[in-house]
Order: sequence, then C-alpha cells, then structure tokens
Amino acid sequence: MRLRVAFLGLALIIVGAGIALFVTLYLIKTPPAVTAATTNNSVEGLPVVNVTLTTVGAAGTGPHPNWVAYLNDNGDPSTYIHAPANSVIHMTINQQDSASGLRNEYFGLVRGTVDNSMKVNGKTMQAIDPTTAAHTFTIPDLGVSVPLLGVTSDQQGNPPQNVVEFDFKVPGPGLYRWQCFVPCGAGTLYGNGGPMQTLGYMAGELVVS
Amino acid sequence: MPPRRRTLINIIAGTWAVLAAAGDIALNSLPLPPGSATDIAGSETQVIRILAMMAWPIFVAVVAGLVFTLYVDRVAPDAREFDAQTLRGNSRVQTMWIAGSTTIVLGVAIFGTITLANDTTVPTVAQAVPNTPLEVQVIAQQWYFTYRYPSFGGFESAHLVIPSDREIEFHVTSLDVTHSFWFFAAGVKADAVPEHDNSVDMQPLKTGTYRIECSELCGIWHGSMSDDNAQIVSAGDFNTWAQQQQQLDAPIMKFLPPYSHTYVPAPGAYGS
Repeated sequence: MRLRVAFLGLALIIVGAGIALFVTLYLIKTPPAVTAATTNNSVEGLPVVNVTLTTVGAAGTGPHPNWVAYLNDNGDPSTYIHAPANSVIHMTINQQDSASGLRNEYFGLVRGTVDNSMKVNGKTMQAIDPTTAAHTFTIPDLGVSVPLLGVTSDQQGNPPQNVVEFDFKVPGPGLYRWQCFVPCGAGTLYGNGGPMQTLGYMAGELVVS
Repeated sequence: MPPRRRTLINIIAGTWAVLAAAGDIALNSLPLPPGSATDIAGSETQVIRILAMMAWPIFVAVVAGLVFTLYVDRVAPDAREFDAQTLRGNSRVQTMWIAGSTTIVLGVAIFGTITLANDTTVPTVAQAVPNTPLEVQVIAQQWYFTYRYPSFGGFESAHLVIPSDREIEFHVTSLDVTHSFWFFAAGVKADAVPEHDNSVDMQPLKTGTYRIECSELCGIWHGSMSDDNAQIVSAGDFNTWAQQQQQLDAPIMKFLPPYSHTYVPAPGAYGS
C-alpha cells in the first residue's frame, strides 16, 4: 500500500514538473528579432539605422513552411524589429512574392515615409497599382504604409525580386504593431487568417527603446 | 405603531431624503459620459443623467429598507422561535407598491419614447448656417478604419477629420468581417458589415481630438484597431486639411474604385 502511494506521488511530481517545464519554456521562448544596424548617416538631424527584410511566398522553414512570411537575414520568419528611439529607419525589403492585390486600394499609396515616397529597384514611386501589390508594410500608429510591388512571371533574377527602400521616422520608446494589408493568407477566411494573424509572418511589432 | 418604531422610521426616512437629494445634486453636476462633443452624445449623456437621478433615490430606499428590516426585525440570540409579523392583506401597502412601480415603468417608457422620437429629427443646432450633411464613409478592414469623403472627390484618409459646423452623415461598411465603428465621444456606435451600408447622422458641437475604436471582436489585432487622433475641427481647418489630403492622395486617386456605399473586393483580393 505504501509503495503504491509513493509511486503515485512520484508520478504526480513528475507530471507536475513536466507541465511546469512546458509552461516555463513556452513563456521564455522569444522569436528571432531583427535589430536595426547603426550607420553614420543622418536625416533631418536624426541618426539612420538600417533594417533589411525579405518577403517570400513560402517561408520554407519553421512550423509553417508553406506560409507567406517576412524573413530576417538568416532566412527565418521574423517580424520583431528592434530600433532606437528618435531615429530614422532605412528599410530595405527584398520583395520576392508575386502580387495578389489589395482589398482596399488606398493602401497602394505610400504614406508616412520621408517625402511620402519609396524606391523600387532604384526608381522613386509614390503609389503602385493596387492589383500589383504582393504585401504592404504598414504601422498604423505611426501612419506609415508602404505597398510592396509583386514580382511578375517574366521578371529576371535569381530569385526574381523587387528591392523596395524607404525611410521613416521612429518616435520615442514604445511598441508599435505592424501588419500586411494584402489579404495573403491563402486558403483562410477572407485571406486574413494563418500568416496574417501570426506574429513572425505577416504581422509584427516594432520595439522602440 | 410604537413611538420608538415611528421615531426609527422617521430617522431612516430623513436619512433617505438627505442622501437621495445629495446624490441627485451630485449626479446633476457630474460630467457623465459620453459628454457633449456631438448632439447624439449630449442626448445620451442627458438620458444617462436622468435615469441615474431616478434610480439613485430608489437604490437608497432599498438600502434604507434593508437596514431598517435588519435592525428592527432582527432575532435576538436567545429568542426561542422566529415570530416576525406576516404582512398580509395590507391594501395600503399593495396600492402604494403597484402605483409606484407602474409610475416608474410608465415614466421611463414615455421618457424613452420621447427621447427616441427626438433623436430621429433633424438636429436644431447651428441652423443659421447652411447645414447640408457632409457624407463621410467609414471603411473597416482587419485591422484599420479608413475614411472616404465623396464630396471632396472621394479621397481617402487614415484618420477621421470632420468639421464642427456641419451635420455629419456616416456611412459605415466593411471589406471583410463584421467590425463596429465606435466613436465614443460622439455617442456613435455603428456596425460595419460587409456589403451593407449602415448610416448614422450626428451634429458635432465641440472641436477636439478623440478616440475611435472597433467594438466588435474581429480577430487577433482587434484590440489594436483604434485611433486616438480623430478630430473635430473648425470649418476653416477642415477645408485646409481636405486640400492637403487631396494632394497627398493624388498618386492613388486614379486607382481608387468609384465611390459606393458598399464594396465587393475582387475574388483575387481574398487570398484564396
């Protein structure tokens, strides 16, 4: 009888410890972040930092290899951007996905960036045809929204891509969520499920400190 | 009735009267939500104030009755048996109860009906100026509200800006799931339903910066679907802003769809 009780107690302790370990590992797990790289440049007296991301039609790695994603330099899905306060982020996005079109055409407009413009493969643009958008990089609370031109089937390169560059000002410390406004979550309700609702894929956070 | 009991009733009644009057005076002067930024908000605030002033004396009376009962009809620890009086066949109490309840319920019903009837009439504020309603379309999508101004060429904005001198006619719709446009300070809450046009009129009364948020659970970023920079501005400031916005929107104007009360995005825009 005593042996049975001891065995039961030991089993409960093991199960409890396992649950505690699972919860702890879940809570302390942090996704890969993209940290802005400092430069010697300045815009309007503010220091410029560089951030580079890549957008692809399929992440190819991680728990959802078939989802559209923003990737960091290591090729991992990542939408956590760390940047210093009161700076200008020079964003470079290597856009490698094809167009699926905007639901709200207004997001074809570039706004909130320095000069309200972007450069696509070196060409300055203020808007794109909304049907040619593959994704957007939009930070609602900062008023920043940049449409990302989709690659075409006849586009050259390996892989074919559109290099989108723009600058935007970052205010004081805070957490600013950002997302894509092209409903690119294929196969989900209104295209807004899956990667559109998952941090690390088409929704992210800009951590300013 | 024993003199002691009558004295106690008088004390409680007096306390009730003082607390009820003090509470109603306070409620009459407190800045209750949603405020007076628009005619609708002012009307809602007035309704809340009146109902609160009606409810407060009743609440105090219930508490006073409870205290009275607990004190007078309490059972002594050494009492052998419970012998509280049974109230039966007291026509005076029954009449007062039925008459009071009926008066309160009918009063609230009449008051509500009159308020609703008044809210459906054209606002009487600022009638001195030509008050053609300014149509503003609210377009909801996961997870952002944008706004179109058909009388200014149909430009679109990421922030709501409206003039204080004109009646506003909101037309609320959605491009994906159901949202709810909640302009709290204006007293406006309207569901944004795909392929439906939900309209609501209001007359701004106070300039200022206000918050707008979605009040319908609409997905993971529902909690972030808000804007703290909605503005009610003077007519001059609004015209200046509209001109600036038209210039900013110029590059996208040729791509915006013709203004419509509802939109049905192309199947290709559904990501499936």
